[in-house]
Amino acid sequence: MNAIFAAIFFSSCALFLFSDPDGFLAAMLEGGQKAAALSLSLLAVYCVWLGFFKVLDRSGISSHLSRVLRPAARRLFRSDDEEALTLACGNLTANFLGLPGAPTPLGIRATDAFLARDNRFGADLLFVLNATSLQLLPTTVIALRLAAGSAAPADIFLPTLLATLFSTLLGGALVFATAGRQKTGVSPAKRRRLGRRRA
Amino acid sequence: MKWVSLIVPLLFLVVFGVALFRRVRLYDCFTEGVKEAVPLLLSIFPYLAAILILSSLFTASGLSARIAAFLTPVYRFLGIPPEISPLVLVKPFSGSGSTALLSEIFASYGADSYIGRCAAVAYGSSETVFYILAVYFAGAKRKRALPVAIALFANFAGVILGCYLCRFL
Repeated sequence: MNAIFAAIFFSSCALFLFSDPDGFLAAMLEGGQKAAALSLSLLAVYCVWLGFFKVLDRSGISSHLSRVLRPAARRLFRSDDEEALTLACGNLTANFLGLPGAPTPLGIRATDAFLARDNRFGADLLFVLNATSLQLLPTTVIALRLAAGSAAPADIFLPTLLATLFSTLLGGALVFATAGRQKTGVSPAKRRRLGRRRA
Repeated sequence: MKWVSLIVPLLFLVVFGVALFRRVRLYDCFTEGVKEAVPLLLSIFPYLAAILILSSLFTASGLSARIAAFLTPVYRFLGIPPEISPLVLVKPFSGSGSTALLSEIFASYGADSYIGRCAAVAYGSSETVFYILAVYFAGAKRKRALPVAIALFANFAGVILGCYLCRFL
């Protein structure tokens, strides 16, 4: 990340020097502005979802759900940490349903919990699954196409679902492939089956 | 697709209903959860700010447009319409930036055109990788390059497949 940051920073800075020196600080401030605005809207989202998650937790539903999903999740993330697994399952479910803003707080905590036990594999896998996000319905795109006067705004549903299914499976498979040296205790065939069930 | 909008209200109704049935003090419990919102935001804020400032520099300097122009032959070879290459390039960095690019593409080529559909699929099937990285790994001491590379590669492969599918689906 440090390398990417430096590379993009210096090349953009050089471009600004030649084209528009005044624009440099303006662009940075615009980024800061966006961060401040986004933080406020994130805070609003967190208030709602963190409140909801606490109620979900206390109601006992989440422990029921995670008891069902645990055997699969345990193998998938190579972790015995119940809390982390519950959070990770919640994160994936929220992603799939496309609940706006809900996956992030769960994902952050699950990643922290994985890393606290030094389970980098679990954290990496969760990150890749999130970053190739499998979503049932691309609501933003459909809304934008509707606004742009599309005759059938939802007709990109199938290609999008197939493309994102493919990217999620590919990403997950690559994480498993590159983490080959760690012991899993799960056969490749079983792993594939677990992967398919998750997707 | 009306049933989709029922998911969230029903989810809240069921969960709060079950909680009430199990004699959970809803108000106390909800506020207890909200209490964690500010610390969570504070923990990710520095990374969020750095990424957004970087993505602002990336687009405003014209660097993203130059790289997109440079990559045009590669995109054409892979079957991605070159018109959507800025979108594919900006999406990993910035959600709002790529949303703006998507609306621009819809405005200039039409939402139902092949290019418009490819753009929609490319937008919908990829994610803001660097943003997620910044936020999820805010607590990690060392950030590793491998998962990022995997995520970027998988998303790109998804875009290629999506553009291909758009030809006949």
